[in-house]
Amino acid sequence: MSESVTQEVVAVEQNKDFCSSCSICSTLCPYEALKKDAETGKISLEIEKCQVCGLCYSACPARAIDTIYYDVASLMRYLEKAKLEYDSDTLVIMCRGSAPDFAGIEQLFGVTKFVPLSVPCVGRIPEEVFLKAIIAGINKIYVLACDEDYCRFEKGSPVTGRRVLALNLLLEQLGYGKETVTLNRHSLKVKVETDLCISCGNCVFYCPYDAAKLESPGVVSFDLSYCRGCGLCVAMCPALALDLENWERERISALISKLSSEIQTPKVLVFRCQWAVFPPLDEESTRNIRAIDLPCASRIDVSNILEAFQNGVDGVLIAACSEEDCKQEKASGKAQHSIARLEERLSQIGLQDRLHFCTVTPRYPKEFDKELEQFIQKIEAIGESK
Amino acid sequence: MIVTTQKPLDEVLDFISPYSNILIAGCDGCTQPPRGIREAKTLSQLLDLGGKLRDKNFTFKATTLAKQCDSYLTASMLKPQTEGVETILSLACGIGVQTLAEAFPEIPVFPAQNTHFMGAEDREAGSLEERCAGCGDCLLALTGGICPVARCTKGLLNGACGGSKEGKCELSPERDCGWVLIYEQLKRQGKQQFLKEFRPPRDYQLHGWKVTT
Repeated sequence: MSESVTQEVVAVEQNKDFCSSCSICSTLCPYEALKKDAETGKISLEIEKCQVCGLCYSACPARAIDTIYYDVASLMRYLEKAKLEYDSDTLVIMCRGSAPDFAGIEQLFGVTKFVPLSVPCVGRIPEEVFLKAIIAGINKIYVLACDEDYCRFEKGSPVTGRRVLALNLLLEQLGYGKETVTLNRHSLKVKVETDLCISCGNCVFYCPYDAAKLESPGVVSFDLSYCRGCGLCVAMCPALALDLENWERERISALISKLSSEIQTPKVLVFRCQWAVFPPLDEESTRNIRAIDLPCASRIDVSNILEAFQNGVDGVLIAACSEEDCKQEKASGKAQHSIARLEERLSQIGLQDRLHFCTVTPRYPKEFDKELEQFIQKIEAIGESK
Repeated sequence: MIVTTQKPLDEVLDFISPYSNILIAGCDGCTQPPRGIREAKTLSQLLDLGGKLRDKNFTFKATTLAKQCDSYLTASMLKPQTEGVETILSLACGIGVQTLAEAFPEIPVFPAQNTHFMGAEDREAGSLEERCAGCGDCLLALTGGICPVARCTKGLLNGACGGSKEGKCELSPERDCGWVLIYEQLKRQGKQQFLKEFRPPRDYQLHGWKVTT
């Protein structure tokens, strides 16, 4: 498939027949991908600038924006199924960027049983979904957005805040009682074990946000109000003194060993940046592929990749955002450097072909599919690892 | 810091192939790039994979030491971990390897690194360059804090030689001319008169081989 073919399918499209040029989308778009023409007053979409946050989709009053990911129909399909599966009338809509595990959700909202709905940015969920969910029998909706300065799409969290406020007013007027929808904000940040710190300064150098400080004499300290949770410092720390909340080393290791044992050969494990690939809500498990979502490609730890090989995985694919699309100040580019160094070392033992790093974007959904397909063909050709 | 590079894995695999129980000892001292617990773990993983491809199963223990060149520390910190260990792979510079070999004379110790020089790191450029030659007779007070022994390719004490082109060395054009750097630095500080001072040939005995503390 050539590039033009993979770019034929785009994630967001504007239906000009429906557009009333109201400008709501262009005001909301954090990336100036939707713009109003000064002369004609018409709105146009420049897909290359789009980061697929979905804010325009959720806010367009004329339904003039179409999206491939998490549209109302697929969200409702998921809800219907998940409601039965989780046997609950409480819905938790959370942003993948800051959602902890189930136990964390329990702690944040004080709920033990709920229907989870995890999407990249809750700002992409239209009011319609909240209302339809309530009609479908949901009694209580909890919304977990990122802290405003942690939001990967800049305006996603503030927009969610306003939307929840308006929804509650509406629902109260309709007689549903106060606070049917509860909003909570959260973020996932670095954890330091200062006993292990060797004061090398790697984290200070690599942190894109100046969160790490090293004073003489002393060990590293973090100003967590600056930390945006990319995990680059964690992957670069030579002393294993850092970890990232919800993406702890041990947790990723456990996931690797679980996933690699449940798939068949040729086993392919994909580490994907959660902003580079948007999986469908009903993502189906295939026979030989599993994926681990990471907060940013920069969290990918060389030792996790090696661990996958040690667990019998035949191929490891890393799907990252390009530097320009990186939601973390070009951290993905820095990640690529350590992957390149690992490739050199893997070539010394003849494993280099089993690791592939690619940059993809959800803007063109076929890009990742194509990379995965090509990689699987390559791994099938090389055969099983020893 | 002491600058090292990783030995090719096949060379390391050759060293350790007669053994099964291997202790990999990192060094948190001045070895640069850092060769601490992460590198110890990564190397154990790579060697495990490399071993399997050679039909060889190793058992690794990965640890790290504050500084391997300290024989007292090394012996006391590492001793409890050497039980059942057939060989030790050191991630330190050549000094650390020798300290381990001396501390554990019964156990073969192998280097996992090549040791290059005492250097400084330019993180932005991702490079490490030699800065000190350990001559035992420091001249930096007279040369604006730039060492002619380490940074002039010819090690001239009374430079420049005249072969410098656009600030680069005539012998290795990618390298800065140490004496041009010294001249510019002294000019900035208004200390050009230092350049007129004659420096007699170095006393190579000052380099020494032993210092008493």
